[in-house]
Amino acid sequence: MKLTRKEFLKLVGTTAGVISGVNRLNKFAYATTKKSKPKFKEEWIFSCCNMCGGQSGIMVRVVDGKVVKIEPNPYNPNNFSNISTDFFANIEKEGTCICPKGNAGILTLYDPERIKNPLKRTNPKKGIAVNPGFVEISWEEAYSEIVRRLKQLRDNGEAHKLLWFSEDHSFTHIQDDFCKLFGTPNYSIHSNLCDTARKASFKMVMGDERPLMDSFQSKYILLFGWNPLSATKWSYLPRIITRAIENGAKLVVVDPYLSYTANKAQEWIPIRPGTDGAMALAMGNVIIRERLYDETFIKEWTVGFEEYAEYVKDKTPEWQEKITSVPAKTVERIAIEFATTKPQVVDVWSGPGHHSNGVQGGRAIALLAALVGGYDRPGTLLIPDRKGNKHIEVHPDETAKKNLKEKRFDELKDLYPFGHNSGVYCEIFSRLAEGRGPYKPKMAVIIFQNPMMSVPGTKTVEKALQNLEFVVVNDIFLSETALMADIVIPGTTYLERYDLNTHWVTWPVLGLRQPVVKPLFGQPTEYEFVCELGRRLGLKEEDGNAFFWEGRISGERIEDKTKWYEEYLSKELKEGEPKITLEELKKLPGAVWVSKKGTRYEKYKDIIPQEKLADTIIEGNIVYSKKKDGTKDKQIGMLKEDGTVVRGFFTSSGKVEFYNSDLVKMKDAWGKPVNPLPVYEPRRWQPDKEYPFYLINWKEASHTHTRTQNNAYLIELKGENPLMINTETAKKLGIKDGDLVWVESPYGKVKAKVKLTEGIHPEVVGLQHGFGHWGLGKTAQDRGTSDAILRPCLAEPLSGQALHKECCVKIYRA
Amino acid sequence: MEEKILSRKEFLRLAGLGVATLAVSSLPKKVYAYKEKKKNRKFRFVMVIDLRRCVGCHSCSIACKVENNVPLELNRDDRKIFWNQVFFKEEGAYPYVKEKIFNRPCFHCDNHPCVNVCPTGATYHDEEKGLVLQRYERCIGCRYCALACPYGVRYFNWKKPDYGGRKEALNPDVETRYKGIIEKCTFCIHRLERVIEKAEKEGRNIKDEELHYLPACVQTCMSKARHFGDLNDPESTVSKLVRSGRAYRLLEDLGTEPNVYYLKEA
Repeated sequence: MKLTRKEFLKLVGTTAGVISGVNRLNKFAYATTKKSKPKFKEEWIFSCCNMCGGQSGIMVRVVDGKVVKIEPNPYNPNNFSNISTDFFANIEKEGTCICPKGNAGILTLYDPERIKNPLKRTNPKKGIAVNPGFVEISWEEAYSEIVRRLKQLRDNGEAHKLLWFSEDHSFTHIQDDFCKLFGTPNYSIHSNLCDTARKASFKMVMGDERPLMDSFQSKYILLFGWNPLSATKWSYLPRIITRAIENGAKLVVVDPYLSYTANKAQEWIPIRPGTDGAMALAMGNVIIRERLYDETFIKEWTVGFEEYAEYVKDKTPEWQEKITSVPAKTVERIAIEFATTKPQVVDVWSGPGHHSNGVQGGRAIALLAALVGGYDRPGTLLIPDRKGNKHIEVHPDETAKKNLKEKRFDELKDLYPFGHNSGVYCEIFSRLAEGRGPYKPKMAVIIFQNPMMSVPGTKTVEKALQNLEFVVVNDIFLSETALMADIVIPGTTYLERYDLNTHWVTWPVLGLRQPVVKPLFGQPTEYEFVCELGRRLGLKEEDGNAFFWEGRISGERIEDKTKWYEEYLSKELKEGEPKITLEELKKLPGAVWVSKKGTRYEKYKDIIPQEKLADTIIEGNIVYSKKKDGTKDKQIGMLKEDGTVVRGFFTSSGKVEFYNSDLVKMKDAWGKPVNPLPVYEPRRWQPDKEYPFYLINWKEASHTHTRTQNNAYLIELKGENPLMINTETAKKLGIKDGDLVWVESPYGKVKAKVKLTEGIHPEVVGLQHGFGHWGLGKTAQDRGTSDAILRPCLAEPLSGQALHKECCVKIYRA
Repeated sequence: MEEKILSRKEFLRLAGLGVATLAVSSLPKKVYAYKEKKKNRKFRFVMVIDLRRCVGCHSCSIACKVENNVPLELNRDDRKIFWNQVFFKEEGAYPYVKEKIFNRPCFHCDNHPCVNVCPTGATYHDEEKGLVLQRYERCIGCRYCALACPYGVRYFNWKKPDYGGRKEALNPDVETRYKGIIEKCTFCIHRLERVIEKAEKEGRNIKDEELHYLPACVQTCMSKARHFGDLNDPESTVSKLVRSGRAYRLLEDLGTEPNVYYLKEA
């Protein structure tokens, strides 16, 4: 592949201009073009995609300064496999891929409805369907207005009253730095709308936030509420799963909806939403009853097995049948198949996670892996080695420090025992709307986020934004949130800016995103925008260092903000794992740094050498590294019974935890003690006579969240999101395919077009997430349905995960 | 989208079959002539699509649209132009249900009803490569070919082409079309020609791996379900797949001799 690619690229350079208007009149239009000379200048630039958060590698063809095609980067593991042996052996032979969104990126770049200049609101009234009366203003006016507001906050000792929201994969470090130097603890990013429930489940069980499944080498793949064949966050997913099936693996998908993944599975098990944990416990019951668990692993590497075994004793397949609607016989069979087919992998993602019992349910599923020794071995759930660029700590000055001592507005640390440092959007917006919380925030900067559509409870978010004094939105489109802003700043697409992407594979890999064209309207990139704010505010570090002026490597004052940021990234690369500069990274094949170390297995057995132990702190049997000031830093290992120190698992016991007695001391956000066992408790909102149906939503390959619906290619492909209803259910309701219906919950009602299917649980209705725009652009508007309005603005009480799927509705013809 | 197009496809197929019968009735002579030609042909480019691997992500459809400057149609499902299309059909009853996935480029038939009915010679069969191609300037928009094609892969430009925001950023290697003419998949011939030309220049045969990722749809395929190559080379990947026993061609009994092979799911 490498050779071919090179040859191909060389060829492109020499024989471009194959078919052009000149040849139109020739008899054999295609055959007579060989002698034509290139009429244009072209180059191929390696970069990373950002049509979603997956960061697949791309190769961009730029002709006369215009992007004409985006293709898969042939060197990037994210587009091929998450296992190094597979990657090194097969990538040249098999070639890489990107998804439809990645292919369609060109129309996001050249979307005629992008914002070109800063906009200022003239209508003081804010709300859905309220015309903001935006007028274009100069950059100078935009900056001075924003800086005036920020300065006022900081000078009055209210820096913490600034809320900052951002996407979670792009230019995050510099925004985090800005918030610290400015003095607000309220820097929040997208993750808690996504998978923090899963993060919490696995963190509780095996100490890693995001284990990755090695399906490629697996023989049995059991997925709960995950759709990797269509919600292809990482481009390698379809390949590693279909290849596993070819190699004889069985794929079983538990999901209320026949997702694309369930469709390719040998077995689809429809289940009632939010009950997956009960099925997992019953599987645990069968595996223990039949003594099919991995005794050696459990003895050596886990704690609390006895308590777990005792708890699941009465959680029989018959017990779960009443809860999940999955036949007891099926669970019995799947449990035995799963435990006896090795290696096996079980995974859970955002389906079960978006319910109020999501974390404990996910924990019960994560423990199935523990039962069969399914962690960090080939073909199981691996602990990724995530080394990449290093986020270098900044040292805020006294003013900032004072404000940083304030609580976060969402009280993340106090309320959510397994909260993620991305914050809790739902808590922030519901507190803002209801006027609750430790103080009253005054201003928000929202970058590349659209909470009006992406956070459950649209009305609450609307109210929350109305209650802020000043809202700045930086986006490429007039999103629903931008329509609520006081000032809108035009943002950049991923084809116009830099980023470093530590990749989602199991060994250290880092891909570069770089500008392939200059920002189309001369606007600053997001990091330059932040840098300019920092400069105008005169933000300094503790030692008086003018952070936003000084080059991080040269130490010199740098006027050009792009150059300044290039040094910022270079330093992160130098200090991080790759130990190269940005320029060196650009020159690597595919602009991607791939560690030769490769995937390593059973890392929990790694012995930590004596010489490393000298500079550590040992508490109980857990070993921590030391910070510069001598205080304890990160967990790095555990003291074993035999006296050796090994990596272990980063839980409080250093082992995989079936049961943790310490948990009972903690309280969740709803004031209940955390259960030390992975208990099944019904989610809070259950269907009743008035609202008899579960309403769920999902993602497909055709769109990312609420942000790609103005891309004409993707809208042509999938232009609406019909409400999927089971044929039998619809018959009872007298609803036919294509009918318009009202979907109503106590929080509101929306209109939807019905599509009948056999592929959904009869008690469930659902639709693809992301449609129903009134902002963004004309292409996106008046297409499909947004269901965010039907839910309360509520988070899961352990992790702060937004509850996108906890909703019950009634349906009647419109 | 899927449904409407399906029904349209069915309609076209029905209508097409009518014309195809007419076309096929004049076949015997041509089949004979064709078989003679096939023997001596330099290349035999085929696409092999593994239905077991295809997950229905549509990546092929979009890669094709971008590569080949295919116009957009956002409002009328029945006028959308997808040189390569993915279809779904639900089979079975809850909970034993499957969405059958099928995807379809142009079949580049060796015995091509579309070429046979074209009154102006706009659509023609490239003998060297064995591809069915189109001279846009000769097309008069009569749409006989679209009716004759039993697979429904020919698309008519009902309006002035709409390229969304990329009017200025089209692929310079591919000629743009205009209102009132037919267009369809070319197996990305502009990419293919580069490889042929290079091999000729270097005085050698084309290597199999040079063809592997040639058409944009094959290159981008997420589950690597698509393969491309020369069937004349018995050692090529496609030759091996065609011999695997899983391969079949669509509506083979029509005698169109299509050059796209499918690998059965089971």
